[in-house]
Amino acid sequence: MALLELKNVSRRFGGVRAVDGLDLAIEPGQIFGLIGPNGSGKSTTVNLISGLFPLTSGSIVFQNEDLDKLPTHLRLQTGIARTFQNIRLFGQLTVWQNLWVAQNSPADRAKRGFFSRWLGGQSGVREEISQLLEFSGLAHRQDELAANLAFGEQRRLELARALATRPKLVLLDEPAAGMNTEEISQLRERILKIRAQGTTVLLVEHVMELVMGVTDRIAVLNFGQKIAEGSPVEIQADAAVRKAYLGGDA
Amino acid sequence: MDFYFGLAQIIGVHTLIGLSAYIVLLTGQVSLAQAGFFAVGAYVAGMLTVLAGWAILPALAASSLLGALVAGAVGFPALRVKGLMLVIATLAFGEAVRLFFFNFDYQVAKGGVKLGPLGGEGFRQIRYFPENGWTTMDVMLFIWIFVVLVMAILWWFDRSRYGAVLRAVGEDELAAQSVGLNLTAVKVSAMTIGGAIAGLGGGIYAHYTTHIEHASFGILLATFALAYPILGGLGSVFGTVVAAIFVQGFLIEGLRFLGDWRNLLFGALIVLAMNVRPKGFLDAPTLQWIRRLFGGKSGAA
Amino acid sequence: MLDLLQSTSDGILFGATYALIGIGFTLVFGVMHKLNLSYAAASVGGAYCGLLVLKVFAGAPPLAVFFCAFLAGGLLGYVVYLACFHFIPISNPLATLMATVGMLLLIDEVIVHQTDGMPLNYPAMFDDVMLRAGEFTLRGDLLMVFVVSILCMAGLLALLYRTRLGLATRAVSQQTVAAQLCGIRVGQVNAMTFVVTGLLGGIAGAMIGASVGTLSPLLTTPLTVKGLIVTVIGGLGSIPGAIIAGLLVGGFESVLQQYRGVTERDLYVMLLLFVFLVFRPGGLFAPKGGRD
Repeated sequence: MALLELKNVSRRFGGVRAVDGLDLAIEPGQIFGLIGPNGSGKSTTVNLISGLFPLTSGSIVFQNEDLDKLPTHLRLQTGIARTFQNIRLFGQLTVWQNLWVAQNSPADRAKRGFFSRWLGGQSGVREEISQLLEFSGLAHRQDELAANLAFGEQRRLELARALATRPKLVLLDEPAAGMNTEEISQLRERILKIRAQGTTVLLVEHVMELVMGVTDRIAVLNFGQKIAEGSPVEIQADAAVRKAYLGGDA
Repeated sequence: MDFYFGLAQIIGVHTLIGLSAYIVLLTGQVSLAQAGFFAVGAYVAGMLTVLAGWAILPALAASSLLGALVAGAVGFPALRVKGLMLVIATLAFGEAVRLFFFNFDYQVAKGGVKLGPLGGEGFRQIRYFPENGWTTMDVMLFIWIFVVLVMAILWWFDRSRYGAVLRAVGEDELAAQSVGLNLTAVKVSAMTIGGAIAGLGGGIYAHYTTHIEHASFGILLATFALAYPILGGLGSVFGTVVAAIFVQGFLIEGLRFLGDWRNLLFGALIVLAMNVRPKGFLDAPTLQWIRRLFGGKSGAA
Repeated sequence: MLDLLQSTSDGILFGATYALIGIGFTLVFGVMHKLNLSYAAASVGGAYCGLLVLKVFAGAPPLAVFFCAFLAGGLLGYVVYLACFHFIPISNPLATLMATVGMLLLIDEVIVHQTDGMPLNYPAMFDDVMLRAGEFTLRGDLLMVFVVSILCMAGLLALLYRTRLGLATRAVSQQTVAAQLCGIRVGQVNAMTFVVTGLLGGIAGAMIGASVGTLSPLLTTPLTVKGLIVTVIGGLGSIPGAIIAGLLVGGFESVLQQYRGVTERDLYVMLLLFVFLVFRPGGLFAPKGGRD
């Protein structure tokens, strides 16, 4: 049974069909890629899944539950997390606080009472947050204001913060933008580790090096519609995809 | 010496109203309504001690509660209104409260004398402190116990996850929603707590001035409330206290020799401060620097 | 019934001044995306400055006073721009807001100082003229106020839609950065916006003085709040909205005063604002593609 299913999802902004009749099924444990030219609807799809915009038509089903009635913050509590294309960290909070604020998952609620979760000190969550800091290599920067971090560090924090909500599915919106080869390789390792820990990944990306190297399955969008779906190898060979996106016949 | 106690009383009450605006500002909501909640607290506490014979502590508890309830009620429609519109809405609300009290009559005869609020005349003879033999110093200490208590609570919030959550919402609502935070709950809770603090401050104010009237709860007070946290910086509660001490203490009393020109100076000071140091005195980077100076610890900024 | 009609029409005529104040707030918001809370105070200040003419030339005609108020308003507008918006970084909306509040207090205090807090008489024109239709009266002075205000609005619209400055202003309000890249000097446009709204404000203040007969420093707070209410009801950033809302609020207020008296009147105006904020936060004419 698919973890996340988009059934004939459409989203219009005035006359523009940003997403048009999209069908998608993501299985648990997959690393699923979503690619396409600029304006093809990739980011809109992420925004629809995370609940930023309502659907114009169709439905999104997560773990057999229709997400339609769920407001954004509740979707994120049912296990969907996301990162932002232009990083949206809490700049005036420290790295530690950025992660702390995100301790919102049902697992946290089960573990700690209301009072302790909201008014308790740091010691209660030290373990979880330390793990996240280790994972993203930010332990030595935990007291730094997020606004003062280097770009690469900010990206890692953005990812760590998404993971802090202990999601079942994490939506990565162009996480590799602006990275060099070394950083991309590290990102790849991290994404694989995320999957190894049991989290499913939807990766929206332009950087082919990353997409082709880490995903199990890819869907290609163009003008809001899906024009192809398959394994990385299949996609690279697909003529329609080549024409629309990867660079024609050259 | 009494003069300094009196000044300390004023500074204390102003700190309270400043703190009430502070916690709301953290969530990114600029509220000019704190003077309104303060007024509610003042009239409620006054009426309870004068007309119903309550002791001061229960009366203050009630004024604080009422302040919280009114603020909570305002908090919900306030959510529909963003940014500058909220400023306007809270300004209008504050004025509405003031106008309400301008029209409010509730007098009860006590021992041959009519006591209670009388519209434009205000509410005179709130004499709980003098009648119970409190000295100026007693009142001052009483006020500052509450100030320290409220500051301690807010300081604790700042060190806890709630404080970080308030600031996260204030900084980026979209990102806050995306990590599962319930904006409504956070913003309304902040407004409610702010209302409780303002209600408490108002109740205290009514008793140490013994005579309250609608004009005291207008735009000037609402401005003071906002000015303290903005001038002091939103990095920490101490900023608000420092600003209140500075404005009320130094400016208004220290420059007493300037006579009527003091109020003028307040406006000019704000304009100057905003040009020279738009983020206030104790903003996040400054605080970090101070913390490092004293051998910083991990965690809360 | 006649009373209702009478008070409504009087209110609408007077409401033209509210419309001017509302326009001032809304224009600054539309162009700079900021609120200038000192605007109403500056308008009253400009009106007071108009009285300086009488100090120098004791027998000066009202028109001279009005014109002086007009100019003084513009000057004050520029001063407010310098003090609150020119030097403070745009990214800090709280600071500019606070600065305008400071300016509001400052202007208020200066007025109180210079006048010892006493209300001053303001010249009116055509106050002895009454156009009658049976029992129904159109006061000459109110009519003049209305006409002058309408002329100012027309002038503003002409400025915005028929001049290069107006074009630049509209460009800046829609896309500030792009406007800069097109060579428009945003700082100049912003300053001019303040001067223009200041001019309008000066006239509005003068007209209020003319129709009420006196000017008092107590005017600034209620005028600020009402001006903001007009702006909100009309839709932040929309000039036609401010015009209609101004007339509406003027009429509404006048009718309320007729039936509930002055003291309760303002309370109801506040409530009107709340109703709008809850049910129609965008106002009557929220501008399309507004930057918020």
